Amino acid sequence: MSKVKVLLVDDEVEFATTLAERLNIRGFETTACFCTEDALALIHAKDIPDVVLLDLKMPRMDGMETLKEIKKYNPTIEVIMLTGHGAGVPLSAVGSEKHGAFDCVMKPADINELTSKINQAMVKRQNAINKGEGE
Amino acid sequence: MIRKPGWMKRIFFDVEDYHKTMTSPERYNRFRRTLFLVMTATFLIPLILTTMLSYYAYRSQMLTNLRWNAESAKRTIEAFLTELQTVLAYTANEHTYEELVDQDKLNKLYHRLKSHYPGLVDLGIIDHEGIQRAYAGPFDLLGKDYSDRKCFKVVSSSKTFIGSVEMGYRKVPHFAIAVSFFNTDAGQNWVFRTSIDVTTLDKYIDKISTGALSDIFLVSRNGDAPLLQSSSLQYGPPLSPYPFELPDNRIGITITEDRGVWDYVVLKAVSYIEGTPWALVLLKHGYLYGKDWSFFKARLFFIVMISTILALLVILRITGLFVSRIREADEKRETMLAEVEHTSKLASIGRLAAGVAHEINNPLAIISAKTGLIMDLLELSEDFKYKAKISSEIHGTSDAVERCKVITHRLLGFARRMDVTLESININSLMREVLGFLDKEALYRGIHVDMNLGESLPIIESDRGQLQQIFLNLINNAIDAIDTDGRVTISTKLRDKNSIQVDVIDNGKGIPQEIISHIFEPFFTTKDSGAKRGTGLGLFITYGIIKKLGGQISVRSSVGVGTTFSVILPTKISLSGRAYDVESEGFVS
Repeated sequence: MSKVKVLLVDDEVEFATTLAERLNIRGFETTACFCTEDALALIHAKDIPDVVLLDLKMPRMDGMETLKEIKKYNPTIEVIMLTGHGAGVPLSAVGSEKHGAFDCVMKPADINELTSKINQAMVKRQNAINKGEGE
Repeated sequence: MIRKPGWMKRIFFDVEDYHKTMTSPERYNRFRRTLFLVMTATFLIPLILTTMLSYYAYRSQMLTNLRWNAESAKRTIEAFLTELQTVLAYTANEHTYEELVDQDKLNKLYHRLKSHYPGLVDLGIIDHEGIQRAYAGPFDLLGKDYSDRKCFKVVSSSKTFIGSVEMGYRKVPHFAIAVSFFNTDAGQNWVFRTSIDVTTLDKYIDKISTGALSDIFLVSRNGDAPLLQSSSLQYGPPLSPYPFELPDNRIGITITEDRGVWDYVVLKAVSYIEGTPWALVLLKHGYLYGKDWSFFKARLFFIVMISTILALLVILRITGLFVSRIREADEKRETMLAEVEHTSKLASIGRLAAGVAHEINNPLAIISAKTGLIMDLLELSEDFKYKAKISSEIHGTSDAVERCKVITHRLLGFARRMDVTLESININSLMREVLGFLDKEALYRGIHVDMNLGESLPIIESDRGQLQQIFLNLINNAIDAIDTDGRVTISTKLRDKNSIQVDVIDNGKGIPQEIISHIFEPFFTTKDSGAKRGTGLGLFITYGIIKKLGGQISVRSSVGVGTTFSVILPTKISLSGRAYDVESEGFVS
């Protein structure tokens, strides 16, 4: 079984690289991007991730805009929003739900909670693929 | 700035002093006194002026009446005397001098006149030498010499004479009327004279006296000492001395105010009767026992007194009410200012704390990630000398980061933008739900929870999730305030038609008075030890949410007795009144 491909997008380099490393230890294939432009370029280059961990507040193009772009390009890619604001923020609170985000996780994220959500998102993506959406 | 004069400052407190003395009871007492005096003066001055006007109008009316009475009485007496003079003149013209000096004829004439004028005492004919040549009457006066009497001297020159009342030869009080004629046969003057009994005058004056007058009598200036010419109720019988001077002005009616014999103030009208030595005097004891006057005066006094007493009572009541209303308004404003200040302070602290928390959260996320990675790597690595020690230390670091995370998450949770989602809520059901989260904790601690839920409470419009957070926090605090075996009571009731009240009451240790004003401030906690260590944000957040939902929270506490938190919630929330909406502050990330 191939590894779950995770794309981590956060302008905090230290946070992104460390979290990517931790996820890799847990068996994910994680790539860290430090700006949304790089992340979109990667996706457009057909390196399709299964799950994207996307920081909500980013310079130039923020997480919400990036989410819309990703979903427009491939709706089966599941996106988990990362936010530095609010404990247990519901998706509705950041307005990402209607744009198709899978969930929203508060930073600093608990690694077990995060891996659990990635796995859940992966299940959802797998189901969507099986139903023949996208790709 | 316009400076008020000193006197005005003394009456009305200066605006500059207003804030300095805002809560001083002396300020309100001074204001009450000033207001009372101003209102009393405003009422009493017109009242006194009106009373004075009424008094003088009435007095003027009384003087007019007295003048009218005097005028009328004077004319009547003059008419009486003129009639007597006319009778004498007519009788003399009807007879010759020789006929009249005939004693028999004079006697007949006397008796005829006497039958018409009972007051007629006698008749006499005096020749040009002043000797009484004929006399008809009860006294023996024939041959009496009148040449040196005033009566004879005056009538010789002015043709008619009315004399003062005197005793004369008769030794009874009388006055004389005489008319002078010229005997063409003898070429000499003679005088036809009659005496009138003074009782006749008294009777006549009695007839013209009215109830409106206290006394009426005639006075004659006899040398320096005026003497009564008729009987007076006050001064006695005729020829008694009259104690006052008569006015020099002989024309018209002179009205003066004097003290009577009993020291009563009297109004006195004096009018000289033309062709006589007499002055008619009318007295009116109006001021004390004249019926009309005393009635008027008593009524006036009664009305003024009653009006004054009533007005003073009303003014006292109004000033009291007015000042207490002002005082209440001042106190309310002070309370509101304090509340606004407190709210503003909390909002500022909240925004600051949320900003700081947000800024800390990112490095905290890095620390958390790094410590997590170290722990991961330690687990993956083989044993080495300090592995256990490093693992222990890194777990300690991770725990500390976790505590920081709790704090920053709660702060951010407070500050984050959360749209209020309105729905219809049965507050009693919501309280039961909330208690469902905590009843096991209460049971474990041996705390009895009473639900005293009001009946027929209205369904309110509010945010369910946020209400749950409020009451979870308050009930949790109540349970924490009790060590074991305590009691927590939750009561709901209708406060008024627009709001309901929820009380969370515990019989725990209570909150000391010196810290009760700080409990809604962030990071203020009394749970400072053990596993229950607090963040100091629970009540701060609760306060913020209640304000956002348009409600109020208050606390009453007594050390050793317990604490009551009262939450007042509107039945309908006004979204414009939300206290914290941080979206515009840019804290969303």
